[in-house]
Amino acid sequence: MTRAVLFLTLATGLVQAGAITFYKDITPIVYPSCAPCHRPGEAGPFPLLTYEEVKKHAQQIVGVTRRRYMPPWLPEPGSGDFHDARRLTDKQIRTIERWVEQGAQAGSPADAAPLPKFTPGWQLGTPDLILEASAAYRLRADGPDEYWNFVLPMKPAGTRWVKAIEIRPGNARAVHHANVLIDRSRSARMQEKTPGSGFGGMDLSIEADTFDPDSHFLFWKPGGVPWEEPDGMAWRADSSTDLVLNVHMQPTGKPEMVQPSIGLYFTSHPGTKFPMLVQLERDGALDIPAGARDFEVSDDFTVPMDVDVLAIYPHAHYLGRVLEGYATLPDGSRKGLIRIPDWDVNWQSVYRYTTPVFLPKGSVISMRFHYDNSEANPRNPNHPAKRVRGGNQATDEMSHLWLQVLPRGDQDRRMELQEALMRHRLDKYPGDFSAQFNLGALQLAKGNAADAIPYLRAAVEARPDQPVALNTLGAALLSSGNASDAAAILERALQANPRYTNARYNLANALAEQQQWEQAAAQFRAVLKENADDAGARQHLGEVLRLWGDEMAAAHRPEDAVSRYRESLSFRWDDARLHSDLGTALAKLGRFREAVPEFETALRLDPNLDAAKHNLQAARARLEQASEPGAIR
Amino acid sequence: MRGLRFLLMWMAAVAGFGAVSGTVGLDGKAVDPFAEAAKVRVFIFVRTDCPVSNRYAPELKRLNDEFARRGAAFSLVYADPAQSSEGIRQHIEQYGFPGAVIRDPGHSLVRRARVTITPEAAVFSSEGKLLYHGRIDNRYIELGKTMASPTRRDLEDAIAAALDGRRQPEESAPAVGCFLADVE
Repeated sequence: MTRAVLFLTLATGLVQAGAITFYKDITPIVYPSCAPCHRPGEAGPFPLLTYEEVKKHAQQIVGVTRRRYMPPWLPEPGSGDFHDARRLTDKQIRTIERWVEQGAQAGSPADAAPLPKFTPGWQLGTPDLILEASAAYRLRADGPDEYWNFVLPMKPAGTRWVKAIEIRPGNARAVHHANVLIDRSRSARMQEKTPGSGFGGMDLSIEADTFDPDSHFLFWKPGGVPWEEPDGMAWRADSSTDLVLNVHMQPTGKPEMVQPSIGLYFTSHPGTKFPMLVQLERDGALDIPAGARDFEVSDDFTVPMDVDVLAIYPHAHYLGRVLEGYATLPDGSRKGLIRIPDWDVNWQSVYRYTTPVFLPKGSVISMRFHYDNSEANPRNPNHPAKRVRGGNQATDEMSHLWLQVLPRGDQDRRMELQEALMRHRLDKYPGDFSAQFNLGALQLAKGNAADAIPYLRAAVEARPDQPVALNTLGAALLSSGNASDAAAILERALQANPRYTNARYNLANALAEQQQWEQAAAQFRAVLKENADDAGARQHLGEVLRLWGDEMAAAHRPEDAVSRYRESLSFRWDDARLHSDLGTALAKLGRFREAVPEFETALRLDPNLDAAKHNLQAARARLEQASEPGAIR
Repeated sequence: MRGLRFLLMWMAAVAGFGAVSGTVGLDGKAVDPFAEAAKVRVFIFVRTDCPVSNRYAPELKRLNDEFARRGAAFSLVYADPAQSSEGIRQHIEQYGFPGAVIRDPGHSLVRRARVTITPEAAVFSSEGKLLYHGRIDNRYIELGKTMASPTRRDLEDAIAAALDGRRQPEESAPAVGCFLADVE
């Protein structure tokens, strides 16, 4: 009898008073917490917008919410308050469970929570600039996760300030997350087999010639809302910048084409604040024995100034288990920055604090990461477990805790911060290449070439074939007046990487400094062959040719002087004195008809050029003599 | 009305011991999944909207390629009554699933195969005896927790054993995926 009664209520759609219903109790949970991804066109594998759609996955939803697999949110409450936290409360989870226990009833649509307004396509409106990968990546139907890097060159002429970027994955179902790196020296594209083809790899390091450290997290995850920087926090993009989009993809069971694009939103307000990404890490200590259940690595960095922490991004690979960051303030108190009790690299994310976390000068930021390399770790990629060390590949491990830090005050204090970080790194890893290199590069950027040289020499000793270090050492030697040593070091940089335009440019300058005009001009021409728009190379080549021409003129070789001057003029057409000197060399060869217009041009550019005035008169006089009757025409 | 629902349920329960009724083809015509002769019959229960069963499409293709020529007959079973046949056709084409296609809107085959999840497999002897039901392999530990590649291939072992006439465990560790009960 009881069963029959229950049947009746189900069949007629009647709902017992106080019963949990979809519209009244479940829509307020599902709409904000599930629907942003679980709707057509987005990453969720099925939509969860209607009663029918949710009911078709009801028991699954109970299972994944109870385990807190969904919605994906890794940080534990109590350590950091973050924007867009997707964590469900225990009560919400219990409500879903009870709804299903009670028969997953619909209830009355009039009780439904309002459905959020979802914007199709670009979430922030039409971008000011869209960069699309030139070719799609074909993801296999089956197999392990894949990581691919797309190189997207910036297009606009001149410098722009970017207040927001939005990444469209090109295939929301296959792309798990994506990360943009700013490559100001276009070094990453050298890893491409053919231009635009991209390259594989889970993590990559970008080499930079100038001090312009990463300042912003440019990260995309499914359902994420694009982050718009507040005034003064925009970042600079130059036309010579490449954006490198690192994409994590998961096979879906069928081949998928992935062709992502990045939308950029510009602002007229340049960046006036100078945040920096600070990295704690201990990859050098990652040597995890097979079977180790709890392997800990740590790093502790003392902040050299008052700072605000704006965002945090912990990163490990498959063996990471517990990832924690905290700060110990000078008064001894402790602030939790983040704690992830069950790390899952698939759901890695950047977490932005709702309120910046203030850390006074002298606070110690601590990273404590734990790894499980036992068979009991289901994510362990190795069966049987094997020894795993630190590295970039998916089969290696990593221990990175990145923080976006904004020093207090109006000044740009990134160099100080970087110097403190690199000194800390040198303490951790004596003789370390990147610490030595960066300390040298910092000294050079500050204009202390002589102080830079010992660090850079140590860096080159650590990695004798590293082209960027060789180039920087060459530049430091050149700035300190040692052109011949500089040239030798720069030759080595070019042996290590023959396509290294900046090293070639520096070499050309070192040769010019030694008045080796011919070799210098040849190197500058090679630079322009690689990059025809290089203004510095154009200017310097013009100067070298002119000086070379002067040398020829002084050596009584006017013919050679003329050809150097003529080539030089193609870079310095408005150099009055050069026109005049060319005229003089031509006159010496008796080529007055060609000399006259050069003097005229010189005087047009600079009417007070006495030498040109005088020589023009003389040349005209010689021409008149030549045109008198009887003279040979 | 009440009486009729009751009666149907009761009949379905009885049917579990004998012939399966209510299974149809994509054209809606009744199909007996056990009608055609086969050494071993393999049913794979899937849903069009289950990312886990989708991800197994290449593995199912591999198993079909390996065992069809040895006399195993593969059928995909779609048990969601609300799913259109057209949607199923598109799904098969997109993912390249192998084998024949059966719709089981009343879940009679689901009950006879004693499966609860998509993807889950059932292996029957030529006489219709249930030899194995359970997961395809152990790649999924639970939803969201997967191994790079499986270390146990339960279904492959079960089909091979059935073809060789060896005894084998009838059940695997629980399958991981989407619940069939959600689409009853």
